[in-house]
Amino acid sequence: MGASLWYLSRATGVASIVLLTAVVVLGALVSGRRRPHGEQATVVMAVHRWLSLGMVVFLVAHVATAVGETYVNIDLVSVVVPFTSGYETVWVGLGTLAVDVLVAVLVTSWWRHRLPERAWRAVHYAAYLLWPAALVHGLVLGTSDEPLLLGVTVLAGAAGTAAVLWRLLARPHHDRARRDVVLGQEWT
Amino acid sequence: MTGTVDDLVGLLDTAGLTGRGGAAFSTAVKVRAAHDHGAHLLVNACDGEVGAVKDAHVVAHHLDELVRGAVLVTGGRRQRSVRFAAHRGSDTALALHRAGLDVLDVPDRYVSSEETALISLAGGGLARPMTKRRPFVTGGRDQAGRRVPATVVLNAETVWRVAQVAERGPAWFRSFGTAAEPGPRLVALTGAVDRPGVLDTEAGVPLADLLDAARPAHGWEHAVVGGLGGVLLTADEARGLHWTGADLARFGGSVGPGVVDVLDPARCPLGTVTSFLLYAAGETAGQCGPCMFGVPSVAEAWRRLVETPSRQGVDEVRAAAGLLPGRGACRFPDGVGRFAASALRVLEPHLAAHASGTCPTRRSTHRVPHR
Repeated sequence: MGASLWYLSRATGVASIVLLTAVVVLGALVSGRRRPHGEQATVVMAVHRWLSLGMVVFLVAHVATAVGETYVNIDLVSVVVPFTSGYETVWVGLGTLAVDVLVAVLVTSWWRHRLPERAWRAVHYAAYLLWPAALVHGLVLGTSDEPLLLGVTVLAGAAGTAAVLWRLLARPHHDRARRDVVLGQEWT
Repeated sequence: MTGTVDDLVGLLDTAGLTGRGGAAFSTAVKVRAAHDHGAHLLVNACDGEVGAVKDAHVVAHHLDELVRGAVLVTGGRRQRSVRFAAHRGSDTALALHRAGLDVLDVPDRYVSSEETALISLAGGGLARPMTKRRPFVTGGRDQAGRRVPATVVLNAETVWRVAQVAERGPAWFRSFGTAAEPGPRLVALTGAVDRPGVLDTEAGVPLADLLDAARPAHGWEHAVVGGLGGVLLTADEARGLHWTGADLARFGGSVGPGVVDVLDPARCPLGTVTSFLLYAAGETAGQCGPCMFGVPSVAEAWRRLVETPSRQGVDEVRAAAGLLPGRGACRFPDGVGRFAASALRVLEPHLAAHASGTCPTRRSTHRVPHR
């Protein structure tokens, strides 16, 4: 029983990493200067949103099984408070940190229509902290001794990094460029 | 002192004075609100509209009364500042500086003389229009969230009229104009006229009389009433109407800031409209989409239409112009859309002639139009 839960925890953990990476990639696509337009944008945005909720199902299973299994000692407190786990304090703590940030991102997105855009945006940027934290957590704890799982996690890391770079390296949007040109004129 | 304020607002209300900057909003309501919120006064003497010169006229000839009007508006218990806004380096700015007044030097840009742009500039920001979440006469915040002190902006002619109403009374004021648009008002005549200048006239007079006084060039065919935010009219239309909001509304126009610009009959009017629209495209504030992309796309569609006149080209200009109204933070795109639509309507015969390879301007005057 204990061993099967442990395997289930690892499996849902890796599935969460893959799904989270997909959400991050889609997010980088829709938020960047080269974001898609029209129907394409609607589809990408919808997948970004619903996949993130789908990922939560795997994440909940991952956390529940990690606490529930008896192979190593992870208590309920360390589900919420980072760096309190008796087992692998730092690396489990990174996972907890990622969960906390994820909850903040989900809640602010849920209440986005009631929040100032700036507040939502600031919290949403924390996704760039959440994703690497989750990735390192998975890399160290779950996959380091399994070539297949390791490969999946490394590929996820590469895909996410590429998407973020794609966003960062975009040339200025024509809207931004025009604003800057006009702003450079005499206005005082 | 409150009694004085109530008296003044009562006088303005009875007189029916409305803003002479173009929006024609009740001055009594604005002055009342300014007092209630302790608003600072900005006197707009920018002559921001294309062809406008009447603010310069007021400053040049009625400066004493203008200052008296400003003191009346800001009078009351609380000390509030009065600043006079004029384009930097203009004769108006020079005259105001010489008179020792507090002058707000405004960059010579079309949208910079819009009221919220002036408020932004006066507060140390850029002279670009701001979103009016609520009237700035009650105070507010700019886009960055900085506090904007309560400020009322009144056109220079309006402030001058306030002094006149206070000194001569509402009955004198109402002896001019019509019941709907009472009071004397200034109209600037400019362009291809022998006697350009500002006429102290009133609503209801035939526009033909105003035009005759300025002596338009022989054979003039078109005039722009209201500048870039106004409408293009044929000579017959202009001659046939009275200087009232109702008459001008038949052509989509308004009394506006009081500008009548007679177009040079020796120059192809299509080219003149192109110049107007290209100027408009360059005057964007770079903040709202309709201003930043919409206005240039109207200018570009018009330029293409003039190059190769076609049914499709007309539809493109109409479609682009139709997208502009009611979408920007200020009314600049609305005005350009209105102007472009009126140009399409009035110049339809001219465009048809171009489509068949002749320009009526060239034929009637035997002069090559310059662009």
